[in-house]
Amino acid sequence: MKTENQRAWFFVLPVLLLVAFNALIPIMTVVNYSVQETFGNNVFFWQGLDWFEQILRSDRFHAALGRQFMFTGLILAIEIPLGIIVALSMPRKGFWVPVCLVTMALPMLIPWNVVGSMWNIFTLPKIGLLGYFMNDVLGVNYDMTQQPISAWVTIIIMDVWHWTSLVVLLSYAGLVSIPDAYYQAAKIDGASPWKVFRYIQLPKMKTVLTIAVLLRFMDSFNIYTEPFVLTGGGPGNSTTLLSIDLVKIALGQFDLGPAAAMSLIYFAITLLVSWLFYTLMTKDDAQ
Amino acid sequence: MRYALTLLALFFANAAMAQGWGNVAKKEEETGFSWTAPLWPSFWMAWTPATFALFCGIFGAIAVIGVLEGFKYRDGIERRGILGLTTTLGDRLFISLLGTAYIFLAWLGLVGQPLWWPLGLSIAWGIFCFRKV
Repeated sequence: MKTENQRAWFFVLPVLLLVAFNALIPIMTVVNYSVQETFGNNVFFWQGLDWFEQILRSDRFHAALGRQFMFTGLILAIEIPLGIIVALSMPRKGFWVPVCLVTMALPMLIPWNVVGSMWNIFTLPKIGLLGYFMNDVLGVNYDMTQQPISAWVTIIIMDVWHWTSLVVLLSYAGLVSIPDAYYQAAKIDGASPWKVFRYIQLPKMKTVLTIAVLLRFMDSFNIYTEPFVLTGGGPGNSTTLLSIDLVKIALGQFDLGPAAAMSLIYFAITLLVSWLFYTLMTKDDAQ
Repeated sequence: MRYALTLLALFFANAAMAQGWGNVAKKEEETGFSWTAPLWPSFWMAWTPATFALFCGIFGAIAVIGVLEGFKYRDGIERRGILGLTTTLGDRLFISLLGTAYIFLAWLGLVGQPLWWPLGLSIAWGIFCFRKV
């Protein structure tokens, strides 16, 4: 018995073509590059899997990968709890709701490179407002162009400033969808605020939090523009995240083969972690 | 003396020719099919027969699974495997391909080439995925 209408596939076709052009064909080209050596002019020499071996054993790649995981781990550990706290303390009705929502959405409207330049000007030691305040008013030695720790603090705060709003808005959407009856029942049972959060609000926010964690993981793991504009990967290599290192190899040194191998390893890591997140977080729903 | 020098020059030239010097800058003859030579040298995607075959294999596998799920097994033989995941045929293909990539990368990073052992491991992993996961 045939009950489904197969014509729906034709509506998917344009998307499929678009994905083929902007994702599939480039990645096939990257796979081709990753097993060959080129000196330009569209001339290629077979190299086998040497580039993969070289990248997997290089200290430079290990260091960049470590920095990348540290960055993603830190911003997830800050943004997810902070976003939930902010969403919990936002008003549910009245005049302040639209004010809060629009204020929250503002950072996300700013393009990445503008965010980078804004924070660069904001934190420069002598001329930036924050830099001047830290150094000359508080007397804290803070210079993100010279000290790795300061640079790290700056890129983390910048990302938290830019993207916590996403977690807030998603959590808020989850919170307002909880019917009042749940809260009334909790009140009758004399549940503490923590128990209300743990057994009513958190389970109801689970789906949106899954999406929030996934989006923030992928975005932060692939982040390029903001730290590149802010610190350019420095001082030294201290904020050279994976994507910045990749661009240095591919476009700076024009080593297309190793860069292609590195981007495939990068892709495999993103794919695996995203799949793991998604599978683990939707596992309970399937049962 | 002149004859001797000419003979010597001829001898050296001959020896040089014998070692292949005469063929410098001459285009080498096509020696037939090679898996690793450029497939379409004037095209931009840098295809080789080997990478082309790889993608034919991946797309072929997706197509076979798609046809099977579309016509033979409508639910994709959905079941809960030993990892506690509910998977269809397509999920199992994805898991086996992703696992294969990691098996090869791990072997390359930890042991190195050649890659016959991880090939065997990957086939075993694929069979395991389709039977048990």
